[in-house]
Amino acid sequence: MNFSIILPETFLFLWAILIFVSDFFTKEEKKANLGYLSLLGILVSIFLLFSTGQGELFGKVYSSDALSQFFKMVFLLSSFLTISVSIDFSSKIQRHKGEFFALILVSTVGMMLLSSARELIFLYVSLELVTIPLYVLAAYLKPDPKSAEAGLKYMLLGAISSAILLYGISLIYGITGTTFLNEIKTRLIVDYLQIGPIGSGLFLSFIFFIAGFGFKLALVPFHMWAPDVYEGAPTPVTAFLSVGSKAAGLVAFLRVFFDSFLVYNFDWVTIMATLAALSMIIGNIVALLQTNIKRMLAYSSIAQVGYILVGMVAISERGVSSVAFYTLAYLFANIGAFVVAIAFELQTGSSEIKDYSGLSRTSPILSLMMMIFLLSLVGIPPLAGFVGKYFLFAAAVEKNLIWLVVIAVLTSVISLSYYVGVLKEMYFRKNEEQVKIRIPLGIRIALLICIIGVILIGLFPNPFLDFASQAALVFKY
Amino acid sequence: MIGLNHYLALSALLFCIGIFGVLTRRNAIGILMSIELLFNAVNINFVAFARFINPQEITGQIFTIFVITVAAAEAAVGLAIIILIYRQHKGVEVDRVNIMKW
Amino acid sequence: MENGILALVFYIFSGIIVGSGIMVVTLKNIFHSALFLVLCLFSVAGIYILLSAEFVAAVQVLIYVGAITVLMIFAIMLTAQLYSTSVRQSNEQVIPGIIIVVTLLVVTLVALSRTSWRVVSQGIEGQTTISIGKALLTTYVLPFEVVSLVLIAALIGAIIIARKE
Repeated sequence: MNFSIILPETFLFLWAILIFVSDFFTKEEKKANLGYLSLLGILVSIFLLFSTGQGELFGKVYSSDALSQFFKMVFLLSSFLTISVSIDFSSKIQRHKGEFFALILVSTVGMMLLSSARELIFLYVSLELVTIPLYVLAAYLKPDPKSAEAGLKYMLLGAISSAILLYGISLIYGITGTTFLNEIKTRLIVDYLQIGPIGSGLFLSFIFFIAGFGFKLALVPFHMWAPDVYEGAPTPVTAFLSVGSKAAGLVAFLRVFFDSFLVYNFDWVTIMATLAALSMIIGNIVALLQTNIKRMLAYSSIAQVGYILVGMVAISERGVSSVAFYTLAYLFANIGAFVVAIAFELQTGSSEIKDYSGLSRTSPILSLMMMIFLLSLVGIPPLAGFVGKYFLFAAAVEKNLIWLVVIAVLTSVISLSYYVGVLKEMYFRKNEEQVKIRIPLGIRIALLICIIGVILIGLFPNPFLDFASQAALVFKY
Repeated sequence: MIGLNHYLALSALLFCIGIFGVLTRRNAIGILMSIELLFNAVNINFVAFARFINPQEITGQIFTIFVITVAAAEAAVGLAIIILIYRQHKGVEVDRVNIMKW
Repeated sequence: MENGILALVFYIFSGIIVGSGIMVVTLKNIFHSALFLVLCLFSVAGIYILLSAEFVAAVQVLIYVGAITVLMIFAIMLTAQLYSTSVRQSNEQVIPGIIIVVTLLVVTLVALSRTSWRVVSQGIEGQTTISIGKALLTTYVLPFEVVSLVLIAALIGAIIIARKE
């Protein structure tokens, strides 16, 4: 066995331990250095990711392929951006600053392992490695009761959704007698051909899977925890939750459905398409009513996952590659918008949209960046979000899911109005007392990466598309 | 003769009792205890399938051991958060904690 | 004859599990709920022995009964005055809750009974502990390592969260 393929994760985990340990020897005022140290670790891990090959370990328990590499890049990027903003945000955290960075790294390791998991025990354990540090991170601002409440809600809902997912896993194990994803697929086919129909147990298992992943991805109607958690958690953690942990849930979802459930021809496309439509409609409409930018972005991210599902239900190579591509585009735009919100919150202590009034006068560059991120989330050309949505919708049209695409386009138009609401505050409302937002170094780095990402992917999508379509080749359709 | 279906029915019953607790308990520790019932229902399923479907490899039993371990980790973090909430609010009823609206 | 005794044991354990499970979710005194949880988890270990999973039963008793529930009882005591019966423990969703749960139960049972399980006639042979040990250190060594990361992350996290400032 070639153990070098697991090196990026192993390295990053050891690095997290290093951060935990060196926290003991770091003076309180120098804790920011631990943040820069974590960034260095992520860079090395990215380097290792692209220098190690592909392959399988322990009889397909772990496999490193194009799909996992693509998503590992997404996780490492979102973790890099999150930590980079947290360095400046940590003035809000009174104690345990070093552990904050280390826990983000541990959660990232979990995401990377999850994207390589092709066996259900490993998939479940890595999923918990993703979420348990996140429960802690959500409750990190100890004196703030909102943060503790966010931690409690996230923990309870996370545990319930794990239990529901496990019930589904136990049923599929009972039906096939194995926990390896590829073997589940072959046994479903062989059993079906030789012995006859399996019965409604498989459908039940599928429903439990959908509910479990629905909670993790915050799909409507399993979304009710998301806005509270997103508002209460420390804002960098919210950014990480809205991108990193969603992408992690998504890749596990892709593996389970395309590797094992796809063979069985009950009408799962209709169910998933319905969930996608509900998420787009409810996410976008409720986002219209929000006055807090974190809650608005929470609902908008519910809707964004709905768009991603549109690509998934197309069940084609093109669909999956557009899912991967859009995730990357969404990463830069969404974290970018959160970074602007963090810079604003650090200076003013507020995340209410009405407090953004007149920001374009005092901080024109920051406002311009916010505009670009929000327009990319809507899908305005020539930004990354436009290309991403175009490919998602094209994949769905190819499979005659016209009604779904119509809903997606209409809700995108609705989404324009609340994103523009923020822009209107910044550009057209006067506010003499608006302060100039100071942008510290870590936030500056993060903003720069996000803005380059959004514009570069929008203007030159081809190399990223190639990478995404390689990732899509992992599955057979 | 007790067969697979008996165990599955027992597990389904326990799972539904757990869901009922999750839906109706106000106390966060009560919800956590109901979640433990859910995990146990799942584990009965796994062990029963290991016995009746997959007796050579007994993957189900191995899965159960992992589920129990993770449940312990989850309970530790959960109770820590509950104690934090208790310090702030002097109570752990989830509806009293609600300072944020939908 | 032996089958009859096994069936009797199964029904006794199931009765305790279901009965104490209902107590866990309905009792007004949260401390008593925790005690019934201990009873319930103990009987689940009995079910594991009936299914010839002795090692899992031992783990269940050690970790669930010995560690998790004790942790819960500690938490209940630390958050004192709550386990008095004067605090209402259920919310207003009892009736909708019953409706949802009964529907779920019926749907699940019907779906499970309409499934053709590929039951193998042979039973589990020999010591399960040996095969579990072998599997944990060969095929499943990776999740085995990862679960230790989960534990360490949870440990550090719990200390950070619960520590007094």
